[in-house]
Amino acid sequence: MKLTLSSVYRPHSFPKLLNCSSFGILGRPFCSSALSSSPTCVKPQVPLFLRPPIYSTKLCDLKKWHDWAKGVSLSIGSTFVQSDNGADSNMLCRELKWLMEDAVEDHSLGMEDDDRVKMRIDIEELYCLWTQRVQERRPFQYVVGCEHWRDLVLSVQEGVLIPRPETELVVDFVSDVVSENEDLRSGVWADLGTGSGALAIGICGVLGSEGGRVIATDLSPVAVAVATYNVQRYCLQDKIDLREGSWFEPLKDMEGKLAGLVSNPPYIPSEDISGLQAEVGRHEPRLALDGGIEGMDALHHLCVGAALMLKPGGFFAFETNGEQQCCALVDYIKSRSGRSFCNLEIRADFAGIQRFVIGFHQ
Amino acid sequence: MAHKILFRPTLVLTLTFHKTPFSVSYHPFRRSQQQPFSFLNTHPTARTTNNTHTHLWCSNFSTTTTTEGSEKCYLYLTDEDLMRQCEMGTFKSSGPGGQHRNKRESAVRLKHLPTGIIAQASEDRSQHKNRASALSRLRSLIALKVRKTVDLDPYSPPRELLQILPPKSSIRGSDCGPQIGPNNPRFALGMQALLDLVFAVEGSVSDAAKYLGLSTGALSRLILSDDSLRKEVNDLRASKGMKPLK
Repeated sequence: MKLTLSSVYRPHSFPKLLNCSSFGILGRPFCSSALSSSPTCVKPQVPLFLRPPIYSTKLCDLKKWHDWAKGVSLSIGSTFVQSDNGADSNMLCRELKWLMEDAVEDHSLGMEDDDRVKMRIDIEELYCLWTQRVQERRPFQYVVGCEHWRDLVLSVQEGVLIPRPETELVVDFVSDVVSENEDLRSGVWADLGTGSGALAIGICGVLGSEGGRVIATDLSPVAVAVATYNVQRYCLQDKIDLREGSWFEPLKDMEGKLAGLVSNPPYIPSEDISGLQAEVGRHEPRLALDGGIEGMDALHHLCVGAALMLKPGGFFAFETNGEQQCCALVDYIKSRSGRSFCNLEIRADFAGIQRFVIGFHQ
Repeated sequence: MAHKILFRPTLVLTLTFHKTPFSVSYHPFRRSQQQPFSFLNTHPTARTTNNTHTHLWCSNFSTTTTTEGSEKCYLYLTDEDLMRQCEMGTFKSSGPGGQHRNKRESAVRLKHLPTGIIAQASEDRSQHKNRASALSRLRSLIALKVRKTVDLDPYSPPRELLQILPPKSSIRGSDCGPQIGPNNPRFALGMQALLDLVFAVEGSVSDAAKYLGLSTGALSRLILSDDSLRKEVNDLRASKGMKPLK
């Protein structure tokens, strides 16, 4: 989850105060601490596949539900594809199979219709979940409460951005960099706007048990709670330090000390938000998506901050909206703090879209 | 697939991520590999394709050369090295991708550049696991499609081939361990050597059986135990005007 200007503009919290794109002096948060300091205690949800199998249902009832859900999925055809490039029937059927995998405890074969199956959820609730998936276009990952990302299974829930496959590559960039630089491997890394904690946990993996630690920040209390849950699940609480706050605000003690900085900040231009696929636009947090008018508010802020926070030789990698935004970001860095950075590069994602900007602090 | 980028070696590291000591703590959360209910398996999403209908002859690796390393063919490469020979792409995705999308297009397509063989996988939720599945499929396809010339006089079968033979083979020593079946990842190596031999004897199962110290029936059963192996042998036999094994 990330901060965007538009969210800061929210009338009830911040009436038009920050209506200029300059973020002022670095290190000074551009959100009021009142936004994040309320000690709300968010209890993260347990993903379906980790819940205890305390329910049971007859196999024939499970089949009945499955056939119903499949029928619903097939009736969609390519409707969603045409309306907003959403999932087609095939995709929905595949998700249905995954939902079964998560909901049913024992997958033994050759059972009779009257045999009882152990479940992690009540069969009636499965009907609700699939209705939400198809009618309300609730993202599948929120339905099952997890996303498979790299070799991790991360808990996600409403209020937290679902990590995307594209972002997996950022961890590979870091792996690449630290494999030839022991100093960076043992240093302190930061993942800003960590959301579910995906990048922080992935990077912790490539730093290795002997490597440095990761500080992950997020403005959203829900994101911090979910990321904390994920970090604990992978027993990395000694390696990953989660801090609630906007971008660099919780990192004041790290000025000039970071070995690396990564972020998948909100980068979608505000005017594109209304046309997003329903799963994204209606259900995922706008805070994590909306990057302001050009989509680059957070990216600009991150680049300026990187010059201040990274130590000499430190590495950064940012995900962008792709193509022109990459070029615009490189131009911005060169014009604004050209002498601070070297080896600036644009990297493509697996679909061939120029997606990432990476570079080193001088 | 509209766009491809060269697979970069750095990515390969992540393939073996789960094997590193670091991720021991990941183990408690590993998912069950058990087969889900059969009635669910109505949507096959995994496809293995290859665009080569002819066999590729890997003459550089002729068994007459004995220099260390030169006999090694693609299947002897580590996952990392094999992956370096591949171009990886995801499937064509329309639109801008990234945060715009929620579609589990985690499918992976690997093209092995030296042979042109393509393997893909899309059945898993994670792109990462699909990459590993595609690589394992690529190994099977290479075993099926890349041929080495075999010296029949004298014929000395490689250890990998001996390991997939049934224990009653007269040339199989007791040091070969238990017979390796089609579900074992090492089966591909034995299968490749077996196909090399079958090609060398031009599809004659009885001739091949003699070289392997087996009855024709026993070798037939071995060939029939794996669908893709059977298909390759039968395709060869058909091209020589021989009847298919059944």
